[in-house]
Amino acid sequence: MTAALVSTGPIGTNLYMRYRNQLLLMLAPFLLGLIVLVVLPATASLAVAFFNYTPLHPAGFTWDGLGQFSQLQADSQFWRALSNSLLYTLFSVPLRMVGILGLSLFLEKRRKGIGTVRAAAYLPTIIPDVAYALTWLWIVNPLFGPINQILRALHLPAQSWLIQPAGALGIVVGMSVWQIGEGVVITLAALRDVPQDLYDAALTDGAGWWMRLRALVLPLIAPTFLLLLFRTTIVSLQDNFAPSYILTHDNPTFLNYAIYFLPLKIYTEAFQNFRFSYAAAIIWVMYGVTALIVFFQYIATRRWSEAAYD
Amino acid sequence: MTSKRARSGRARLRLPLWYVAAFIVSAIFLVPLGSMIVGSLRQPGLPPPRVIEWLPNPISLGNYVRVFQVIDLGRYILNTLVVEGLAVPVTLVVSSWAGFALSQLRNRLSQSIMAVTFLLLFLPETALWVSRFILYRWVGVIDTPFALAAPSIFGTTPIYMLIFYWTFRRVPDEIWEASHLDGAGALRAWWTLGVPAGRAAFAAVGVLTFFYYWREFTEPLLYIQTAQRYTLAVGLAYLEQLDPTNWPILLAGSVIVTAPLIVVFLVAQPFFLEPIERTGAPVTLSVAE
Repeated sequence: MTAALVSTGPIGTNLYMRYRNQLLLMLAPFLLGLIVLVVLPATASLAVAFFNYTPLHPAGFTWDGLGQFSQLQADSQFWRALSNSLLYTLFSVPLRMVGILGLSLFLEKRRKGIGTVRAAAYLPTIIPDVAYALTWLWIVNPLFGPINQILRALHLPAQSWLIQPAGALGIVVGMSVWQIGEGVVITLAALRDVPQDLYDAALTDGAGWWMRLRALVLPLIAPTFLLLLFRTTIVSLQDNFAPSYILTHDNPTFLNYAIYFLPLKIYTEAFQNFRFSYAAAIIWVMYGVTALIVFFQYIATRRWSEAAYD
Repeated sequence: MTSKRARSGRARLRLPLWYVAAFIVSAIFLVPLGSMIVGSLRQPGLPPPRVIEWLPNPISLGNYVRVFQVIDLGRYILNTLVVEGLAVPVTLVVSSWAGFALSQLRNRLSQSIMAVTFLLLFLPETALWVSRFILYRWVGVIDTPFALAAPSIFGTTPIYMLIFYWTFRRVPDEIWEASHLDGAGALRAWWTLGVPAGRAAFAAVGVLTFFYYWREFTEPLLYIQTAQRYTLAVGLAYLEQLDPTNWPILLAGSVIVTAPLIVVFLVAQPFFLEPIERTGAPVTLSVAE
């Protein structure tokens, strides 16, 4: 289009310039909003870590260098939150990725009623965070909860998960495993792009189910699936505030900090202790750890995703 | 011969087996929603059930009335709808304008904007909490719905702009050229050609934006201080703090918060379950953020 308009001579060029400027104006709100509400705040959050800023004394903040970071060392809550987040990621990410892959392969089939099954599998994903956390608190409730009803019906001893640290962490991991609808939709789309003729060729060559999966399907969906892996990892490390906030009833010491994760720690420091700079220092650490892990994932899987283009 | 017959027998079994598995999978994923609904129908104060309770006896709908008396749920619904009323139209205009502009400005600038936008999709919100709080307080919108609807001025999340970008890219160039040669400006072209051509994208982004603000919990928790101005998500957390063991009422509240989303989801399923090229919406990176 551009070429056609420019080639219509000087008048056309003028017209095109005007049209172009109008387009730039239509783009402006998006760009300005993004700069003011995302780019600048993110930069400021990271910069404030090197100062000593608290909203209680907004005027009198000073350069603090790495002072905030040096306080991290002695903060046992911080180390607890970091190790909890890592532990959660270690369990949640592999379980979710296996769940996404298995469910996508299962739901890929063209069968009557497949839409209903897909919708059912997606439903937990749309439940709002607070309602979802409350529902799980109910499901694992030792007296009334459905799980213990089933255990009792099978004459097994009822369990109280939320009185043991491992049980509480297990519940948060379990909650994340039920919410894999988005990953499944993305993986289904990638599976649909596997060329049918390649698949048929593999079938006539006598390749079994496992062989087709390993040699054909997995390499072809690898680029999408790895991107999903990176994103799931990022979200696990940085985006589990709501479940831990609700499950701990806004009381971090709950169960001796068993489900006290980095986002909750950042929230506590910023909005309860008003230590904005210290919270920002933790954000730096969280980003650093995330970047490191995703980088290693990338290195470890690089050959796998490149194989798809051979 | 025998092996062939055995194989066809296995093939005949495969379909029913698949349906059994499909039933089990559906049941497993319906556990949260099912438990929520069943639990919300229990009469408060009843002793724990001795056997598996598929449906409580008696069924009590009173929890749905009582939850409105314990907290000002009607008010929270209204507050949430005010945020939606501000955020959904602004998101539609900003993201469709940006997607429209970028789909036609095919130069270095637009390519780098697309690349940066894609990177921003991976930026988690934790980094924005504190600075947005300072910014909102400075502007004076803390404790107002404007603070909650603010992300709509950049289209809520960049993925919505991308949905429009991909939609408008599919419109043949000749259509834009024809309108351009008629002397129509960019805004006119967007309104008379872009909006009708991108109807599916507008519907999809509208639904997704509605979901986004309805589900949002952290931002209202941080930026709203007066209980009267809570949105539904925070109101439900507030109910939990008031009465943390009154499960039937907590679950009735959860059903009320969840139900509109379920209805919209069932009506607009393709926007969630079909890949972006078909309808313009993988909920990816958009709903659960």
